[in-house]
Amino acid sequence: MKFTRRGFLKLSGISAAVVASGLGFDLEATAAHGYALKLAGCTKIPSICHFCSGGCGLLLHIKDGKLVHLDGNPDNPINEGTLCPKAASLAQVAYSPERPKNPLYRAPGSDKFVDISWEEAYDRIAKKIKEVRDKTWTSTEEITNAKTGAKETVTVNRAEGIAMIGSAEVDNEESYLLTKLARLIGTPFHEHQARI
Amino acid sequence: MSPSFGRGAMTNSWQDMQNSECFLIAGSNCAECHPIAMKWVNRARAKGAKVIVVDPRFTRTASQADIFAQIRPGTDIAYLGAMINYYIENKLYNEFYVMNFTNALYKISKDFKFNDGLFSGFNPETRKYDYASWAYQLDAEGKPVKAASLDDPDCVFQKLKAHYSRYTFDVASKITGIPVAKIKLIADTFAAANPGNIFYALGMTQHTTGVQGIRCYAIIQLLLGNMGKAGGGIQALRGEPNVQGSTDMANLNANLPGYIPYPTNQEKTLNDFAMKKGSVQYKPLVALLKAWFGKNATAENEYGYQWLPKNNPSNMPTQTHFFGKMEEGQFKLLLNWGSNSTVSIPDRKMVARGLSKLEMLVVADIFNTETAQFWKEEGLNPAKIPTEVIFLPAAFVYEKAGSMTNSSRLIQWKEVALKPLNDVHPDLDMLDHIFKKVRTLYAGSNDPKDEPILKANWDYGPHEAEPLKVLQELGGYNDTTGKPIATIGEYLAAPVGTVSTGCWIYTGVTPEGKNLADRRGNADPTGLGLNKDYAFAWPGNIRVLYNRCSCDAQGQPVDSKRKLIWWDPVQNLWVGNDGPDVVDKTKGPDTPEGKTGFKQNPEGVGRLFAATYMSGAVATPTDSIAAVPIRGAGMTVDGPIPEFYEPIESPTSNILHPEVQNNPCAKIISTEFGKPDEYPYVLTSYGVVEHFCAGAITRNIPWLNEIAPEPYAEISKNLANKIGVKEGDEVEVSSARGKLVVRALVTDRIQTLKINGKDQETIGMPWSWGFASLSPGPSTNNVTMAALDPGAGTPEYKCCLVNIRRA
Amino acid sequence: MARKMVFVDTSLCTGCKACSVACKAWNDLPAEKTKRITSYQSQADFTPNTWTYVRFREEYKDNKMHFNMLKLQCFHCDDPACMKACSSNAIYKTESGYTLVDREKCIGCGYCAANCPWGVPKIDEATNKMYKCTGCIDRVENGMKPACAQICQPGAIQFGDYDELMPKAQARVAELQLTNPKAHLYGDNLMGGTTYVYLLQDRPGAYGLPLNPTTPISLTLWKDIVHPLGGIAIGASAAAITAGVIVNLVRGNYANRAKNIAESHDEGGK
Repeated sequence: MKFTRRGFLKLSGISAAVVASGLGFDLEATAAHGYALKLAGCTKIPSICHFCSGGCGLLLHIKDGKLVHLDGNPDNPINEGTLCPKAASLAQVAYSPERPKNPLYRAPGSDKFVDISWEEAYDRIAKKIKEVRDKTWTSTEEITNAKTGAKETVTVNRAEGIAMIGSAEVDNEESYLLTKLARLIGTPFHEHQARI
Repeated sequence: MSPSFGRGAMTNSWQDMQNSECFLIAGSNCAECHPIAMKWVNRARAKGAKVIVVDPRFTRTASQADIFAQIRPGTDIAYLGAMINYYIENKLYNEFYVMNFTNALYKISKDFKFNDGLFSGFNPETRKYDYASWAYQLDAEGKPVKAASLDDPDCVFQKLKAHYSRYTFDVASKITGIPVAKIKLIADTFAAANPGNIFYALGMTQHTTGVQGIRCYAIIQLLLGNMGKAGGGIQALRGEPNVQGSTDMANLNANLPGYIPYPTNQEKTLNDFAMKKGSVQYKPLVALLKAWFGKNATAENEYGYQWLPKNNPSNMPTQTHFFGKMEEGQFKLLLNWGSNSTVSIPDRKMVARGLSKLEMLVVADIFNTETAQFWKEEGLNPAKIPTEVIFLPAAFVYEKAGSMTNSSRLIQWKEVALKPLNDVHPDLDMLDHIFKKVRTLYAGSNDPKDEPILKANWDYGPHEAEPLKVLQELGGYNDTTGKPIATIGEYLAAPVGTVSTGCWIYTGVTPEGKNLADRRGNADPTGLGLNKDYAFAWPGNIRVLYNRCSCDAQGQPVDSKRKLIWWDPVQNLWVGNDGPDVVDKTKGPDTPEGKTGFKQNPEGVGRLFAATYMSGAVATPTDSIAAVPIRGAGMTVDGPIPEFYEPIESPTSNILHPEVQNNPCAKIISTEFGKPDEYPYVLTSYGVVEHFCAGAITRNIPWLNEIAPEPYAEISKNLANKIGVKEGDEVEVSSARGKLVVRALVTDRIQTLKINGKDQETIGMPWSWGFASLSPGPSTNNVTMAALDPGAGTPEYKCCLVNIRRA
Repeated sequence: MARKMVFVDTSLCTGCKACSVACKAWNDLPAEKTKRITSYQSQADFTPNTWTYVRFREEYKDNKMHFNMLKLQCFHCDDPACMKACSSNAIYKTESGYTLVDREKCIGCGYCAANCPWGVPKIDEATNKMYKCTGCIDRVENGMKPACAQICQPGAIQFGDYDELMPKAQARVAELQLTNPKAHLYGDNLMGGTTYVYLLQDRPGAYGLPLNPTTPISLTLWKDIVHPLGGIAIGASAAAITAGVIVNLVRGNYANRAKNIAESHDEGGK
């Protein structure tokens, strides 16, 4: 049995008056539901996805400082508003209870993290950088000159004991400061997951 | 890619994929790992483009393919070599392109040899090559000698022809498991399409032969004339949101920002560096030192060159090596930003051993990662691990302002969209605070070793570091005008020592009063997806690299439907829809500069053969800057042309040269290896669309855990029958290095292959799980192997030998 | 508002499940604990909190892999069985073609769930209300695409006015039929014509879909003949008795769905 739209209306027994209105279905029910958009009154702020290197545009709908919805940015020409499942899920990062709320410290031999302040965290890190830098510093080393074969002493200024793993998941500005910081404190031992 | 074309980056863009006629997707599962690609691939398909997928598994990408070939992991070079051979033998190459835009005619030194799997110059003790014999024949001025025709036995083209003559379809089929007819079909389909596009990702790089596999792509695309064209090129689909940017910013041991080679202890002075690396590297290094040391960088003090730590070439560990260096006791402190090595590094036991030897581990991340909690893993005793750990909670991408550079070199700026709920901070702030604290600790020191810290130019705001100030440092300043650099042309024209930039390839991104990375003009008047007014692509906002090669000898587009640039004889200028990637916009197609298709290579052409070469003046020490050479060629450390080698753990022997089974230069870190009699199956590991890399973020997202709740081992029905396992049963997968238990996914999407006449099974496992997070799971990197590509340092995650049994 | 249509082109679907996540994100639906079931599928069925999911079917024949991935949600039938079955008139149609439930009226009787040929409606035991895909009516009525159509990167979920999109869907089928004679539309002439229309590349059974979904005869009797008469002409008590008889028939229709799918599997490569 093949139903046409009109046939369905008839079979459904909707009154002639409603059919005559040309709208067909339960107009009142529609109006009663209102279909208010939860995005009403939101500010739209574009951002960029945190996952693969597509650089898809995100659009965050913010109301009263709170994230109401996260969508693809239709004005970003790379993705034109579309997203993959990972990007589509990114609203769940903002208020995740799994995110640590402050710096954490694990003492040697301990089996737990304890909360510490940012000040204490920075203090401990800076002091450790100085300590390890000072005790593992190599200012010069002897090399064999590759061209002449002669032994030479050259300035190398390396903090041998410090390694840094940078990140492909931070912004350019951050990535740059990682490199700059590493080199300024004397470590050429700076790598990241680009190789893996 | 860099040794082939001069730049290592993805050549075209996501949007440009709509212009392709055919895609060879091999070493990329883009529908899962770069889903945005499918949007643009499908635009091309709607116009009739064909899709070829080569993969060890029938992936979700393969579901979209016109041609699918299942390949044994790690054997790509065998069938790609066969394609090269077929194109040369059957004259399917683009002769105009090959003659004009490649080094096909260049004559190679008579000393160059290839015998039984080894190129000339191999030193078996160091497992390294001396590149001297991989050189061109040079004329009196030091320029390469060109042959009169492609038939000259000394020319690159003939070297290529001879080398790949061994790569018949039959040999390729025996090695890869792909039927002969299918290899031919792939070769014919790809050659018939113009332009054809190649995608690769970690499926190609995560091998001990990864760089050479990519070199095969370069050779194929140069032979077919697909480079520099809309819809053509080679798309290195990079793995992380800002991996292009972080590579540009040199989070790597052998570079400084903008791909400046990192100075080693052999370059005692700035002048030594200039002599060795050429003026093209000298200038940006000086500009970088000026950015880092400001007024303290002067010509008199070599711009602070001595303050840079120098590499010791015999001790340059890559990330995978780091953990060994911790175990040996070299590293006491690891500063770890947004990287989850405890899940992501192969041979995980090695990682835990290394971290346990540190005095302090600092981890900055969004969630508390397995790496920060490494001491909690089952089987370890925290009481015996002395490592102090500090975890710094970081603001998420939309909670901070800054820019990221996508795979197609597009620098996109974003503002803060949402204030973080808790007391978490952008990484930029953390780094700013840490540096300032360290500087305070050294205040007043007269020790010369502390000068780099005390003399550094570091001022990004009094309280919270301002990312725009950092971007402006990258964009650079011109001392002569006293203003930000307006264009990369301005930077290139400025005398050495008069400009400063934190990353020269980003020059022009922040002209005075502007931030071009924040441009939002998304118009596409050409319909080619160039979107030139949207954000800013390095270098110089060029969207399709090497686009000079899209023109003929007269400088006019060869493809009237896909016009990128052209020579305008009225204006005497290269102009176009894209930014012209030419040496000098005013030099016409009849000049040497105007003919140059690959200006970043010292020869100015694409390198079918990655020869040793330095352009410009002969390198003799002198104080005069004018006498320094100009540019050295990028090298591939394991051979000037790709050769097939078996993976380090392989189920079979190398039928091309049994004496040289594996890449002779591969760097081996793991200490335990398995043999096929004990571990008969090939494991390949991969990501899935539902999770991201080591999963530190995605395994804490409930919606993603719902759609991909657990890891698994994909096995063929034959293998399932053999080991008595049904769909969903638990299996133990083991290698010489470790084991893990997951549930089996029994599928027809992996078939038994015929390799060298014998049946061979492949097992596939996603790797994104670890012991922490909302959705913990066993890590596949328990079993993988730390053996690295000698050039890129990428581990061979994509193939190792395992056994499997019902758990 | 003009009648809308969503065209799900399975030949472009990559099974990424972004539609499922986007649906949850837009509709504030919590994640559920799952386990991988088969292939890459972990969501087994619709639930009160899962309104769209992707079904994976693998079939290897003639040396070729057929990896069929199908995004499922409410079809929004033009003549919905659920609406007919609804004992409290809580289910209604919109002019734009959507089938919706008014949860204030819904009493959780489950007749909708029992009679939907695709098993879409689900009753939440805690609230005793029916939940299912709304077609993102709030977005659509405000000029936006449904969340699943907005998110889809490969372009497998297309949204538009029925009159404009249907010819495109038909053209797409014709194009695919040149190389694959099995390509066909699914839904366009089922249940009065559905709002979500599929392009399938194989018989419906290859996707686990019923070949010929129908409204049970008993329901047609109940809703189209007995019930209207009952409302107008028959006395209240007589109507109640008739209804009681019919309700038993209605309840019995759970079995229909499974049988229907099984039949379409058996029907092989037709």
